[in-house]
Amino acid sequence: MRFPEGWYFRFTLIALTALATLALAGCGGSSSSPNPNPTPTKVDNTQPIQVNLGPANDYPNGVFTTVTICVPGTSTCQAIPDVLVDTGSEGLRLLSSQVTLNLPAVTDNSSNGLQECVGFSDGSYVWGGVVSADIKMAGEKGSSVPIQLIDSSNTYPVPNACTSSGGTNENTVAALGANGILGIGVFQQDCGSYCANNAAPGTYYLCPNGVCSATAVPVNFQLQNPVWTFPQDNNGVLISLPSVPDTGAPTVSGSLIFGIGTQSDNALGSAQIYTTDASGNFQTTYNNIAYNQSFIDSGSNALYFLDSTTLGIPDCPNYPGWYCPASPTSYTVTNSGLNGTSGSVTLNVANAEALFLANGGQNAAFNNLAGDSGTDISSDYFDFGMPFFYGRDVFVGIENMTGPGNVVGPYYGY
Amino acid sequence: MFLLLGSVPGWAVLGEYESSVATDQQRMHAQLHQVARQGYSIKQLSSPGGRTVREYVSPKGMVFGVAWQGPTMPDLQQLLGSYFVQMKQASRSRRQRGGPLVIRTKDLILVSGGHMRSFHGTAYAPNLLPDGVSAEVVR
Repeated sequence: MRFPEGWYFRFTLIALTALATLALAGCGGSSSSPNPNPTPTKVDNTQPIQVNLGPANDYPNGVFTTVTICVPGTSTCQAIPDVLVDTGSEGLRLLSSQVTLNLPAVTDNSSNGLQECVGFSDGSYVWGGVVSADIKMAGEKGSSVPIQLIDSSNTYPVPNACTSSGGTNENTVAALGANGILGIGVFQQDCGSYCANNAAPGTYYLCPNGVCSATAVPVNFQLQNPVWTFPQDNNGVLISLPSVPDTGAPTVSGSLIFGIGTQSDNALGSAQIYTTDASGNFQTTYNNIAYNQSFIDSGSNALYFLDSTTLGIPDCPNYPGWYCPASPTSYTVTNSGLNGTSGSVTLNVANAEALFLANGGQNAAFNNLAGDSGTDISSDYFDFGMPFFYGRDVFVGIENMTGPGNVVGPYYGY
Repeated sequence: MFLLLGSVPGWAVLGEYESSVATDQQRMHAQLHQVARQGYSIKQLSSPGGRTVREYVSPKGMVFGVAWQGPTMPDLQQLLGSYFVQMKQASRSRRQRGGPLVIRTKDLILVSGGHMRSFHGTAYAPNLLPDGVSAEVVR
């Protein structure tokens, strides 16, 4: 698939599929055209997920699934296991070392392959090319979706603006702790209009003659949240995980259900909707102080909030940044959506070191693992990571998509 | 329109004297907003797309703190200057994944948090805080 410089067209599955078909035909491949006006049908929308320590055996509260990718328009497919389910990002990113398919690159008009850097808040980053793939999960399928192959083989040197977040290049299973990331957050794309209007350093690049320069990219060619590329069940997801014991569990199995209020298995039920601001954040109040940039993130492996001084509990001696209260402690906070919904949440915090050591270190799922977000000086948020998900149905509503009661994303529900 | 925060050479950085904010602002097509406070000043640069950097400047012109907010991670190497090395060398919390970064050393306090499309953070040098100014102003 190619994207024209300075020329913009609306994203549609049809347009992308047509482009991919042309590109494949040019490479000697063949493909059949899908129905241009797919009629929503009832399909299996339940994707199994599991919490375990991951392929590197060192990922507390990592929640993983198997994603099938295919050469667009063909039945040449590969199932990639151990992909992290992440409501804090958008787009499918897979380690290139794990992908054997030959997927067509997303290129500009001069056949330069689009490259991407993503810096994460912890300073780590990924870098690699953007390719087009069909994505299959449960009975759902997204056609010709731009995904990233995280570069395991140093095809191009990582640009300085990409390494400038200071952390590690997560281009191996050991570093990433997973075979990839399935970003299914509240946005349709990973960058959106900012990267469409700006050649922003540290985001998208073109590398003619091996020299990489930042480039603007129309939103249709940016990485897409796979869910909204589905013909149905595309307005968000429901993540459903059972409760776990307070001492933790080695594995926990649950469901990633596509769509919100689209089938009998993804109705809101008693869940409340908390709409967010344009950045995907809502307000959390603790001790009469409002924190305005809170979010719910299955890719964060703990509850990250405040700091030990504010909470009155110690950090762990051998695991700095984790909380180690002498006995389990709980905090009650109030969340508020932009829509006026308000409700209290109890956050349980146990001794992280004791949790890591329990059961011979084999436990992975913890409902009370928590750490420091550095709020003493500036941070303005609670990061409701994986512990928040246990024993709770959590809905993630995608921007511009309509959900139950005509609510329009972005929103969370629980 | 293609020059953004972090891409501009000469960006006033943590621990250095601010001298080029006006030039940066011009190159960035950013709006510069200055606020004088008791014992320090804030220079805020906002560029199209919702990216903001605030510099906290001592009466002598030394940048003692920076704060950022935007849809992607900023170029911390340029914002932190010589403190970037300290940030890279600081030990990371074991087994923390996908969350914030918090660094507390004698010379550098840094927090970085958020999620894709909403990144924010602050950094300051405790040794450079002007007399009578609390670290809490850097936010």
